[in-house]
Amino acid sequence: MKCNFHFAALLVILMLNIVFTQKMVHQYYFENYVTAIIYCLLNLVLFPIAFVIYKQDQKKA
Amino acid sequence: MTQKNNKIPFNEDNYTHNINRNNERKLDRRGFMKTLVGAAGVFAVSSLPWGGVAAKELMGLGNKEYPHKKIVDIKSIPIGHSVDFKFPGEHDDAILIRLTETKYVAYQNACTHLRCPVFWEKEKGEMLCPCHHGKFDVETGAPTAGPPRRPLPEIEVKVEKGAVYAVKVKRYEV
Ligand code: FES
Repeated sequence: MKCNFHFAALLVILMLNIVFTQKMVHQYYFENYVTAIIYCLLNLVLFPIAFVIYKQDQKKA
Repeated sequence: MTQKNNKIPFNEDNYTHNINRNNERKLDRRGFMKTLVGAAGVFAVSSLPWGGVAAKELMGLGNKEYPHKKIVDIKSIPIGHSVDFKFPGEHDDAILIRLTETKYVAYQNACTHLRCPVFWEKEKGEMLCPCHHGKFDVETGAPTAGPPRRPLPEIEVKVEKGAVYAVKVKRYEV
């Protein structure tokens, strides 16, 4: 059996993406612009993390 | 590309050259992981504009003053009635409600849930969004029932020379 850690990590990232996006949009409409930007940045860093996880998984295979 | 494919056994993710059947599931898995990474990319890219406009607002570029706009003459709006108008832009629906002789309230009436227009229910004395039955308090714009969680943005009005004018959209208090 393959280690499913990477797989689970990517699913968690997808979940976080959804949560952060929802928060970002709402905070924007609530006019809490700083918070909105923070969530935007969080969403941005999730992508490289996901990419690294994917690459690591490939290396293992 | 051709060179790569000429190597035996070549390293490619597809089913036709998949002699080792145990690998079938692995390839599926990888394809799905690729999709997940792609989704993260899409989320990242589509976050950018939100961050951008938020930053713009922060730097105060969003605070432009709009010219005061005449909404309606006092004599054509009886107490308890409402009129629709547009403010600040041509596409920003708003509603003015006359509560008493001297008290007027105005809100941008795109529902804060999914932007349906919010109506003034005179008999019940509440603002109602017909889409999912969201209700708003007429004095403050705060949501009182249904899905909306955010108050309607209030518009500052002033009465001058027998008419009501829209002055500006109020910010939420922090
Ligand atoms: S759009 Fe107004 S309650 Fe859903």
